Amino acid sequence: MKLKRLAAVAAATVLALSACGTPLDDPDTPDPGPGTDGGVVPGSAVTVGWNQPFFAYNTDTSNTRATANSIITYMMRSSFNHYNPDLELVPDPSFGTYELLSDDPLVVEYTFADTAKWSDGTPVDAADLLIQWAANGGHLNTIEAADVERDADTNYPVLNGEVYFDTSGVAMALVTQTPEISDDGKTITFTYDEPYADWEIGIDVEVPAHVTAMRALDIDDPQAAKDALVAAINDNDTEALSAISEFWNSGFNYKSLPEDELLYLSSGPYLMTEFREAEYITLKYNPEYEGAHQPSIETITVRWNEDPMSQAQALENGELDLFAPQATADLLAALQNIEFAELHQGIEGVYEHIDLTFDNNGPFDPATYDGDEETALKVRQAFLYAVPREEIVEKLIRPLVPDAEVRHSQLIAPGAPGYDEVVEASGVLEYEQQDIAKAQALLEEAGVSTPIDVRVLFAEGNVRRENEFEIMQPALAEAGFNLINESSPDWGSMLGSGVYDASFFGWQSTSTAVAQSNPTYQTGGVNNLSGYSNPEVDALFDELAITPDADAQLELQKQIEKILVDDAYGLTIFQFPAIAAWNAERITNVAPSPISPTIFYGFWNWEIPSE
Amino acid sequence: MVMFLIRRLLASTMVVLVSTFIMYLLVDIALDPLESLRLSTDPNVEAQRAARVAMLNLETPVILRYFDWLGGVTGCLWGSCNLGVAWTTSQPVTGLLAGVVATTLQLVTAATFIGMFFGIAVGIISALRQYTGFDYSVTFMSFLFYSLPVFWVAVLLKQWGAIKFNNFLRNPDFPVWFYVLMVFTVSVVAMGMVGGDWITRVKVLGVSSLGTLGVLLYMDLTKWLIDPSMGIVVLALIAVGWAFLVTMLSTGLRDRRSLGGALTVAGVGVALYYPMFYVWVWLPVSWPLVIALGVLAVLVGLLIGRLWGGPDPWRTARTAALTAIPVSSLLFFERLFMTWETYTTHSLIRGRPIATFGRRTPNLEGSFWLETTDLFTHLLLPTITLVLIGYASYTRYTRASTLEVLNQDYIRTARAKGLTERTVVMRHAFRNALIPLASIAPVDVITILGGAVITERIFAWYGMGRMFLDHLAANDIAPVMAYILIAAIFAVVANFVADLCYSILDPRIRLNA
Repeated sequence: MKLKRLAAVAAATVLALSACGTPLDDPDTPDPGPGTDGGVVPGSAVTVGWNQPFFAYNTDTSNTRATANSIITYMMRSSFNHYNPDLELVPDPSFGTYELLSDDPLVVEYTFADTAKWSDGTPVDAADLLIQWAANGGHLNTIEAADVERDADTNYPVLNGEVYFDTSGVAMALVTQTPEISDDGKTITFTYDEPYADWEIGIDVEVPAHVTAMRALDIDDPQAAKDALVAAINDNDTEALSAISEFWNSGFNYKSLPEDELLYLSSGPYLMTEFREAEYITLKYNPEYEGAHQPSIETITVRWNEDPMSQAQALENGELDLFAPQATADLLAALQNIEFAELHQGIEGVYEHIDLTFDNNGPFDPATYDGDEETALKVRQAFLYAVPREEIVEKLIRPLVPDAEVRHSQLIAPGAPGYDEVVEASGVLEYEQQDIAKAQALLEEAGVSTPIDVRVLFAEGNVRRENEFEIMQPALAEAGFNLINESSPDWGSMLGSGVYDASFFGWQSTSTAVAQSNPTYQTGGVNNLSGYSNPEVDALFDELAITPDADAQLELQKQIEKILVDDAYGLTIFQFPAIAAWNAERITNVAPSPISPTIFYGFWNWEIPSE
Repeated sequence: MVMFLIRRLLASTMVVLVSTFIMYLLVDIALDPLESLRLSTDPNVEAQRAARVAMLNLETPVILRYFDWLGGVTGCLWGSCNLGVAWTTSQPVTGLLAGVVATTLQLVTAATFIGMFFGIAVGIISALRQYTGFDYSVTFMSFLFYSLPVFWVAVLLKQWGAIKFNNFLRNPDFPVWFYVLMVFTVSVVAMGMVGGDWITRVKVLGVSSLGTLGVLLYMDLTKWLIDPSMGIVVLALIAVGWAFLVTMLSTGLRDRRSLGGALTVAGVGVALYYPMFYVWVWLPVSWPLVIALGVLAVLVGLLIGRLWGGPDPWRTARTAALTAIPVSSLLFFERLFMTWETYTTHSLIRGRPIATFGRRTPNLEGSFWLETTDLFTHLLLPTITLVLIGYASYTRYTRASTLEVLNQDYIRTARAKGLTERTVVMRHAFRNALIPLASIAPVDVITILGGAVITERIFAWYGMGRMFLDHLAANDIAPVMAYILIAAIFAVVANFVADLCYSILDPRIRLNA
């Protein structure tokens, strides 16, 4: 019978084979990793959570200026200086030094250290800054931004032989003269057409010049490529520059690890070794790195997801070691329940402020009182006296950041150099305590009939702002102002339209550049949404923009702040709270900064705790 | 039929056109591409704004921009697809889609089929036990699951299924309450499912309590959670169990030839226990190979069934082939389980295997088995979430249609002519009860793609749903429209397929009527 035979064969096979062991081919033992290099602990690794995936190695084109990119390149590329958590600029002489040779004309000289080199062995030198000048200054562009045709598939500029670097910068636009490079290629000198206040953060190295030229001009030798690039820029060779700008615009954008290794060179402590689209990026210690920021952790992996609660649970489950979620009370509570989580409750670069509208025939516009400046000023002052800033901070911010304070300066972030002096000099402390009686008195003096209707614009659906409004409304009602809720989900596009009398929202600062405030307060500035205009302030800002000396800058800022306070321009309320959380059993020495790169600041100080 | 096809095709095209047009206008109103520049204090913000307006053609009226977009989309008909560019990341949407569609399919495929399988099974049993405690409990549970918000289920699952479970794995001794709870639940459920008079009930209660207790003791004592491999004896027991179960449902245990075929398949499976380890070493293991081996197993099952023969050889062949599926899966999982300990003790896993984040552990590289284990530990929680929510509706549909069919005259006729209850249920009731599901299942596949939006976000899988959400938040219209376009096309295709299935399965329906 068939079955019997089959069964017999089966049984025999079982007997025969059960005698042998079971072979497993798993080479599944953990990889011990390469040997020790410097202070790096072999096998040490941390995983960091972030909300948006990396998408461009060149973080300076008009589309790629995103924190998601710069946090990664921050660990891969050295720079002449960086901000510390106190918002002071710290130079890195192991990469290069810079020096102000002359104030007028403003001449800055950059010299690269011998230890500065790309991970393919090519030194980082003057050519790498020169290409950045060419790109950022835009002096070599042969077409204007508005005339650029863009490819329908990729949105990249289509050049057809024209030169167009898809970016724009303020500092390099002021350097029309082609920078001079020394014979050894280590030093480059920039001469500004006019003095420029923020020269220290005017330029830094972005993408490797030799790679751009090698790929754009099809040259194999790095040095030859670099020479060709310098020659093209010096001779204004349109044909070569067109190819270079085309590659500069698009060649360094990728969303997973590119095949061409030259596209992710490192000049800093970490090398990109793995990059899976929308999942994670892995950086490993760069053994060629000889600079000062020697890290102790061998591998840093950044994983992406925008859901804060899922990041918190991933931290608790050991899948993430460090992350910085958007600060909410629920999340804070969840994080405080995790035994091993260490929390940082600090501030971020965005600050909330309340603006009054000067040019809409509303209660704060002198035009309403037939041009009577004095009356309008008193109404504005009365309004500002009645704003319960302390209460807003106490109820909305301190639950997240216990030591949060009211921000007092329009120009300088709390804790940044000069903040205390400016606050002291401006007289803004008049408004430190809410003073309803004074507000009432001022309104009486002004002789306006109360209650005054004030239309307030803010973000509809933003819980924090809705709470702010709830806190403000009764306090201002007592003083004689009837706040009308004009919140809208489209508030952003309504800013500056004059359909509101007061608004509160956040301004975001990404640096301490003094020039960044000009457009907000100067007459007709792009960010001047309140219609404020004071020739004195305009003049002071113009002067500030061309004052390179830090002390002189501070003096001007004091004067500006004083006028803004005297004019009852508006008030700053608070710095946005920031939370960072990490697994204290897996990582120590985390010191988040208020501005980009936030939690990644000082990654070279991170350590794995000894058990 | 041809007329029907043409009519449907035209109507579907119109639906897609109109819906994308309306959605394009709505999305355009909702998005503000300049938002990120409105609060920027960059000194050259004006130039940036101008550049962005030029880049996105914001000066052009939205209707013209829609036709621009549509022009690119129609290119797909002759193979030059252009779904626009995700301007926030300068990436063509077609490139973006390739990755996310694969991710979403990986996430939802298993969940869809598991949900369907369990939903149908539970629905039928609940219909057969109409108005019993079991039926009421199932109804209650399915409404409960159906109404649970995904994000809430997901957060709870992560808390208990991942974080607490991984903590528990450090010292995996089952507590006494767990024994009591499991034995109680399993035996009561089993009793409810089987039903019958009180003697049967007591028997079922006793057998299932003892069985559960035995399994739990085995898992506890052998530290099964640390090393889940079964060994040849346990595997043989399970394989034989499957053989009986499949035969019972497929042809009934009285069909001795079918039972023989099924048991032979189980025997072959057990015999292959050791040889398979060599096979896994010799062959370059990959998913296509695993699937090919599965198909081979089914073919072998068919062959074995044919060899057993009998008056109706295909019945035997079918039973044997069906048995081959669980038996070959057992062999696959046994090999996978052998990697479990290597996996959990890996330096990147550190004894916390159940994952809550992403579709794989970063930088984990190893054999096919290690990476597959990793995939499964990442799939586990999102799959449970999707199954819990998806399965409930299948239960309701199946229960309703089974009840309807059971009240038909032909069922009474079948019973009257003396057919066994198994034949009545499996052959006459079950097949006809499935017909209405043919119109639900394809549509459900679409809704699960939509429902996965939240699941993907919470479990950090970058699929269709997250592409949609992320770009919606970033004011980037092209990927949002791609999602809407695909959803619209799937929706009309699914409805179309549903109609076709229906007409094929139910001869009473004619399409050109």
